[in-house]
Amino acid sequence: MDASEIQPLTQFLRQLVPFDSLSDASLLACVRHLSVAYYSKSMGHVPLDESHPRLYIVRSGAFEVRDEEGELVDRLGEGDFFGFPSLLSGEAISNKVAILEDGLVYQLSPDMFNSLRQESREFDRFFNRAFAKRLRHQGRFKAKELTTTNRISSLMTGSPLTIDCNHSIRQAAVMMRDARVSSLLVTDHHKLCGILTDRDLRNRVLAEGFDGALPVHQAMTRNPVTIGAGALVFEAMLAMSERNIHHLPVLDGDTPVGVISSTDILRSQGSQPLMLIGEIERQKDVASLISVSKKIPELLQSLISADARAEEIGRVLTSVTDALTRRLILLNQQILGQAPMAFCWLAFGSQGRQDQAACSDQDNGLLLAGEPDEHAAGYFEALSRAVCSGLDECGYRFCPGDIMAQNPKWRMSLERWQQVFDNWVRAPEPKALMHASIFFDMRPVFGPQSLFDALQDKVLAGTRDNDIFLAGMAGNSLTEAPPLGFFRKFVLERDGSEVKGIDLKHKGNALINDIARVYALSAGIKEVNTAKRIRALMELGVIGRKDALNLADAHEFIAHMRLANQGVQHRQGQEISNYLKPQQLSSLVRHQLRDAFKVVHDAQSGLRLKFMRSF
Amino acid sequence: MVSRAFLRPRLWWRSRALDDGLARNFVDSQRVLLSATAEMAPMLALDLEMTGLDPGRDQILAIGVVPIDGGVIQLQGAESVLVEIQGSVGQSAVIHGITDRELHNALPLADAMNWLMQKMRGRILVAHHAPLDLAFIRANMSRCLGISMPILAIDTLALERQRLLRVHEVIQEGSLRLGASRQRYGLPVYDAHNALTDALSCAELLLAQLAAIGGVRTRIDELVTLCD
Repeated sequence: MDASEIQPLTQFLRQLVPFDSLSDASLLACVRHLSVAYYSKSMGHVPLDESHPRLYIVRSGAFEVRDEEGELVDRLGEGDFFGFPSLLSGEAISNKVAILEDGLVYQLSPDMFNSLRQESREFDRFFNRAFAKRLRHQGRFKAKELTTTNRISSLMTGSPLTIDCNHSIRQAAVMMRDARVSSLLVTDHHKLCGILTDRDLRNRVLAEGFDGALPVHQAMTRNPVTIGAGALVFEAMLAMSERNIHHLPVLDGDTPVGVISSTDILRSQGSQPLMLIGEIERQKDVASLISVSKKIPELLQSLISADARAEEIGRVLTSVTDALTRRLILLNQQILGQAPMAFCWLAFGSQGRQDQAACSDQDNGLLLAGEPDEHAAGYFEALSRAVCSGLDECGYRFCPGDIMAQNPKWRMSLERWQQVFDNWVRAPEPKALMHASIFFDMRPVFGPQSLFDALQDKVLAGTRDNDIFLAGMAGNSLTEAPPLGFFRKFVLERDGSEVKGIDLKHKGNALINDIARVYALSAGIKEVNTAKRIRALMELGVIGRKDALNLADAHEFIAHMRLANQGVQHRQGQEISNYLKPQQLSSLVRHQLRDAFKVVHDAQSGLRLKFMRSF
Repeated sequence: MVSRAFLRPRLWWRSRALDDGLARNFVDSQRVLLSATAEMAPMLALDLEMTGLDPGRDQILAIGVVPIDGGVIQLQGAESVLVEIQGSVGQSAVIHGITDRELHNALPLADAMNWLMQKMRGRILVAHHAPLDLAFIRANMSRCLGISMPILAIDTLALERQRLLRVHEVIQEGSLRLGASRQRYGLPVYDAHNALTDALSCAELLLAQLAAIGGVRTRIDELVTLCD
């Protein structure tokens, strides 16, 4: 008899991809060549021996791979591998493997590893793919922006063709012909000042009889609509369809880094959310709008099953809500007539932050350019009632706290809104603040940006460096704590149906939203999306880079768990909720979740220290 | 049990009294390993399947061994043998699952003891509830090879009892069993009662225990018991 008798190992490997592709004989040979080590958390890191690279197979416990800079590359649990990059590349080991939970690790020699790769193409392919994936994930925060397929940068043609604005139109046309492109970015001292497209050459140059020797800046489209390199493809599509244009210069800061054309986007397949928004924009009456809105849960499920990032799902869903809101306003204006004065439809709370999920309530208000007379007041009352009840019928339930434009309390002139915010900021009563924290995450969905800016600028001027107010806000956001109990076990809550679970929204994401809001208000940052707030805070140096990345990671992770959990609830026909049952989680996920909550806890402590010292 | 302080002289005297060169060699090598760390000392995790629990009357059916070198289990050296018995496995088959039919190609007891002697050479034994397994080994070695030698072993059950007693006053029935002990370290669940699997289970448990005690740098003389 021999090691083929070691049933537990053979069984484990037999069901483990890619070992499941091996023949029985090589699987047994492989088992016979394994060695088994046990790593305890107190060791800190797995001792990786430079001279003996090996394939490590995690049998139990939890591990974390970090690169030279300490950035998280991967988290590993049962059935995961490490050590293969240096086996494949022959390069020195540069990553470190931290031990998060004690565990057994199987190790395979390079000789055996290579002979298995030769025997099975699937085995070989698996590790090559894993290697490529690992490379992409090096430096996760940066990489995420560049690699996720639905980001602009994944479609954009690299190093854009540019021409100085003083060159001639003919030179430009020659460049475009030679490079076989339909557009050219025009720069003035390396800064983007315009774009020249085939359409410009036709409509401006030929139709107007321009001389080819004239400078490009006379023919180009000035100050074109641009988009940031980190934007979603979906957002580029929206920008193009709203303005009926076909080319968008892509900027990284001020520097043009590429162009994205509608053809590029079409090639990247049709987009479900965009089709839904298109459908929303085509509807001629409220009843058909309501029936279109029935597709939103389906859209959410398909986004969840496509494993999109939680932040992106929030932005996509909110874009749909925004489109619905705008359509409802326009349809009702067709009935009520033009508004007697300029106004903004404001979104607060989750719609404001662009992080809507399933079963969101409405939180909105109306900002009027001036004090309405009786006629105007009647008009806006009718409009807001119609839009709010339209939203309700589309699945966005009335706000239980009555923060809605149809409530006359939240339908005010710019001056009165400014006063209301001013009162909150001057006399930060805890209860009023808890209520008001919803209002600080505001965004205009409809109406002139300048009107909104007038409000936001005033609000931020009042909050910025206002110690008493910020201490009040901070205190408010510390009334709830993440579910970290003694021994860091989960503290469970009961929801209405007597099912224990962790409230991922109120004990997780909401706390991070609160923290980001206090810091953003203190620094006068205009962003209201939590991820963007955190990034802006990091760039301004208000929060340290490591803490900011941890917080952003925790936010994404908890939000992702919440969405994935809602996906499961949906598939099993349960009611959608924010409660997660910890017993369903693997030890690794439990560990990650505990870590995420720990980050929230630490950030709360930081907040207390920074804003509540003297109070 | 012999006090740790006397282990070394005791083994020295006992080895002087042994006629058999192989046995003396074995005892001497064990004595040398006493001052080594768990990382440096080669070890051999071992498990026996028997027809019963009485070393005087019951017989060995199967032996599984798994070597541990440098604090790492080496499956390349993992082996097991079936052992010929007098009569039938009888009711014990219910536990170990070895039937009379399978024993057809088993090793004669003397060959099995010689094989084990080779495997044990230069290694510290590791077993869960070591006194029982070692009593069987010593009884059968004396019967077949005419050698009566002391054997050092690390008893993972004894280590676990010490550890639990430090935390709890009373140890619950069954909580020291191999499976239950493994569970406390988050080790995977294995099917019990196959000599090789149990030897591997025991080896893994020892590594986990070492990690909890203070790592592979713990000295062997702090871990072993002497079966004499």
